[in-house]
Formats: sequence, C-alpha cells, structure tokens
Amino acid sequence: MSDNTLLTFAFMDPPFESERTVTFFRLLDAALEKNASVRVFAYEGAVALAFARQQQHGNAVHGRDTGEEDHPLTREWIAALQQKAEQKGLSFEWINCGLCVDERGVNEVIDGCGRGGPPDLWRYASEALNTLTIGTR
Amino acid sequence: MSHYLFIQSQDPFTETRAARQYELVGDLYDAGHDVTLLLVQNGVTPARQAARSPVFDRLLEWGVPVIADGFSLRQREMQESDLKDAVEIGDVSLAIDALLDGHKVIWN
Repeated sequence: MSDNTLLTFAFMDPPFESERTVTFFRLLDAALEKNASVRVFAYEGAVALAFARQQQHGNAVHGRDTGEEDHPLTREWIAALQQKAEQKGLSFEWINCGLCVDERGVNEVIDGCGRGGPPDLWRYASEALNTLTIGTR
Repeated sequence: MSHYLFIQSQDPFTETRAARQYELVGDLYDAGHDVTLLLVQNGVTPARQAARSPVFDRLLEWGVPVIADGFSLRQREMQESDLKDAVEIGDVSLAIDALLDGHKVIWN
C-alpha cells in the first residue's frame, strides 16, 4: 500500500563527478520543502555519497587553504537533509546497495544511512506514491 | 490521457539521443497526453534564442509546455531575455509537484 506523501529516488552517480548529483540533491530538498517524506536507494557510484571519510581539501590553483576553499561534501548534504526532515517531522531514509558498497570499499557511512539490496528498492518503490529513477544516461 | 513530465538534462548538441527523446515527447503530446518538458543542466541550451534544433523547436511550435530551470540558466549566464518566446522559467520543484500528483516523471 502506498503512502501519499512518500517519494522514492533511485540514483547511481558518484560524488564529485556530475552535475546530476547537484540536481539530485536539489530534488531531494524540494521534496522536503513540499512536505514529502523521502527514501533514497543509492547504487553503483552513488553509494559513496554517504561515505563518512570524505574530507575537504585546499586548492593550490585557487590559492586557498582548506577552510577558504570550503569544498562541499555530499555526506554533509545528506546530513543536512536528514536534519531538515527531522525538523519538519518527515522521514528521510537512505539505503546503499551492499554489493556496490563492497566493490568500492566505502563501508563507513554517516549515521542514518543503511545497507541493503535490490529488494529494498522494490519495497521502496512499492510503498511510495511515486518513484523517480535518475539514470547516468 | 496520462500526465508526463520529462526532466530533460541532455541537450541535442552533445547527445544525439536527445533528438529521439524530443520525438517521444512530441509523439505523446500528439497522441493527446498531457506532456511537459522541464529543462535542467545542459538541457536548457536549446532554449536559447539563437540555438538551432529543429526537433526541439517543433515542440515549441506545437505548444508543448517547456519550462527551463532557473538555477541551470543562472549557472550558464542565461537571462529570460535570451530564451525563445514560448519557454517559461521554473525550477525543479515542478518535478516534485508532478510526482506528488502521481504523474509519470521521466529523467532524460
């Protein structure tokens, strides 16, 4: 049975590579703005979005140190969305494909992000009002 | 009649498949479905006045609603005055509205 305020997103792009990642996070933020609860199934490279050991770095070309460069990290974007959802009384769930995690060795994820597999995507899609799949192409 | 929202991130100048994607939009519209095209990322580039993409322009001529994401336009220094007349400006929240309305939302 579907929840009429629940949306599922499936995403496969890795962090720091594609403009799709920015658009994807904008869609998640817009969903919370519209008071929709969100479920994300991350697979392939997208499992690294929640990797807990992402670190900021300086940029010698720009002549900036780490603080000045203030490089955005996707794990922080996820945490910000988790916080926003909590403040609005909405749910925000995130499952990484376990096989994809193991292939990439990105097992350490931030709190609130779990591990699963394709059956979770099926469950997420079945229980949601609607699902958006963002393919790499 | 079904409701479709296509989120169009690909552009016809670097992705040959974009022309086929526009054709699908046009075919669905021609078949009587409610179809909207939301341009994001480089998908906004054919909306520029001087951009030449006959298959995209045909959608505008037919009256398919085409909306360009304002964020993507600003990233590319594109102003409202740079756009073809029939193109309107919106943002990705339109995709969320469509999802919540139970429409078919397709990422290209």
